[in-house]
Amino acid sequence: MPNVLLRDVAKRLSENWRQYVLAAVSIVAFVLAWQLYSWYLHANHVGYAGYVPYPLDVAHALRMSFVVKDPNTGLAMWDHIVASLERIFYGFAIAAGTALPLGLLMGTSRTGRALGMPIAELFRPIPPLAWIPIFIVILGSFGGPIAIVFLGIFFPILLNVMLGVRSVDQSLIDAARTLGSSRGQLFGKVVLPFTVPYLMTGIKVGLGIGWMCIVAAEMVGNYGGGVGFFIKDKADVSAFDFMYAGMIVIGILGVLTTGVASLFERRLSRWMGK
Amino acid sequence: MQKKMIYALVVVAVVVVASVAAMYVLTKPNEPKQKYPVYFQTMGVTSMEGSLASGGIDGFIAWEPFGSSAIIDNVGTALEWSGSIMPDHPCCVVVASTDFLAKDLGGGVNGSVITQQFVKAHAMTTLWMNDALAHKDGANYTLLVDLAMQFTSKSKAVVESSFEHLKYGYLMDDNYFDGVTNFTDTFINTGVISADKLALGGYSSITDFIDKYNDRTYLDALSSVQPSDTILNPNNAVRLGFLKSDIHELAQFVAQNKTVGGAKSMFERYGVKVTNASSVGGYSSGPEEMGKFAAGEVDIGYLGCAPAIQNHLNAQVHTVIVAQANIEGSAIIVKAGTDMHSIDDLQNKTIAVPSTGSIQFVLLKKAVVDAGLELQLKT
Repeated sequence: MPNVLLRDVAKRLSENWRQYVLAAVSIVAFVLAWQLYSWYLHANHVGYAGYVPYPLDVAHALRMSFVVKDPNTGLAMWDHIVASLERIFYGFAIAAGTALPLGLLMGTSRTGRALGMPIAELFRPIPPLAWIPIFIVILGSFGGPIAIVFLGIFFPILLNVMLGVRSVDQSLIDAARTLGSSRGQLFGKVVLPFTVPYLMTGIKVGLGIGWMCIVAAEMVGNYGGGVGFFIKDKADVSAFDFMYAGMIVIGILGVLTTGVASLFERRLSRWMGK
Repeated sequence: MQKKMIYALVVVAVVVVASVAAMYVLTKPNEPKQKYPVYFQTMGVTSMEGSLASGGIDGFIAWEPFGSSAIIDNVGTALEWSGSIMPDHPCCVVVASTDFLAKDLGGGVNGSVITQQFVKAHAMTTLWMNDALAHKDGANYTLLVDLAMQFTSKSKAVVESSFEHLKYGYLMDDNYFDGVTNFTDTFINTGVISADKLALGGYSSITDFIDKYNDRTYLDALSSVQPSDTILNPNNAVRLGFLKSDIHELAQFVAQNKTVGGAKSMFERYGVKVTNASSVGGYSSGPEEMGKFAAGEVDIGYLGCAPAIQNHLNAQVHTVIVAQANIEGSAIIVKAGTDMHSIDDLQNKTIAVPSTGSIQFVLLKKAVVDAGLELQLKT
């Protein structure tokens, strides 16, 4: 028995090792390609070589952005991260709070769907950037950026929840009905559990898009800074090493937040499986 | 008994606290009044007037015509014009790509020759504009206002107000050098430009950088430059960059007008063929225009000296400043009808700036610090 267990662990480890090695290979290959491209631009004195600094320069800028407070803003990267996380949190909370009920409604009711879909389909493709001038004026520097992030997160959740509700097998519903379940029971025991995986997909996709909107959001308002503000601010003064450092921070924050969502999803599905 | 003791203690405690508080309050007026910071946030200049109107910000600092526009629209009033914060401070300049200077344009003409002719046309246009501005009853003034209205899409009132608060000039004089040295110094001290970038660009000091990056040879040779009967660069038009609607950079628009030069445009009179590098009537910011320099899409451009300096040092883009374009012309605008009359009244107020690397940010910071206050990012 212990042998089997040990073999199992070893097997999993070897499988994971493969994953880790591949992940490392992919990152290293990317950094190498970047280094080569940057070297090529600098060696040939290309006009925009300074726009592609070496990876090591960016690593240095990344370190500096955390340890040195910017004299103009009085902020270091941690402060920017906190400010952006706050915006993502509010945007996410409002988006999830509205998209979930609306998605359920649009999934279950044909009228709801007919009413909601035209608006959803019309507004979904509009880039958050396009809203900047109007949000600055109407929603201001606190609500404006949250609204931009909200737009990014809202539609993936809405559409996924709706899809989830509609994907419930009709025979399951019929079976539950035959067994005499009420509308409430049908909803709570059949429709909702079926929808949760779709909801989680919507949340993960939405969070990713939310981070994609952060630069646009923080062009609308930048109270307390923000990583998107940092990126724009550094790009404006052609400090591209720092700009890329900010971009890396956003990438990592995106991975971390979707990671938290995945963790939550696993917990949720295990709990629902019982 | 015990209860009475407690009451007595409470009474004593209250009396002590009250008298300490009273003493504190009584002695407080002798202390200097507490100062609060002035807050800033960044915002695109085109959104500032709207945000001021909706109450999102208490004020902004921007270049013309955005200040005058807010004033004429009764949204804001000028708290201070930049000339009073930093008299004769430089603003927009004419920048040339050094790759263009060395470029063979055919017919025995290189970019350097064309730049020389271009700078002459720029200087002659600036003189024409200043002459027009000095004679407000003249036909040239009417034409200048008309051209400014076309270029900025702003009303006559806005354009005329802008003219009152900026100066056009092409020379790089002592004031100019003091100003750009001051700006560069500030950028390096505040980390906008990392100190090691000077050495990376091959400069031994700020003075060395200022001396080399501001190439006076074209201005020094102006007197020997003559008009040309033929276009010297017929097949390689100068790809001209400028900021959209920026009245500071009006000279390039006036220099392209045929009436001003007398049947030929001023650029044509000096043998220079010019084409607008931007397909949408100008760039929206200095950093964007510098990106186009880096991409090799602009040969000569008008833009703020701050983004030019930052971009050249931070990103080593091959450019050089060949002339000045305007002096002053920014303002701190606060909401109309409020009781803000001095920098001191900006305490606890939020002022929008275009970016922390802009000349406007440097000006606002100077005004705030000179008033004994602190400028902080709004939280």
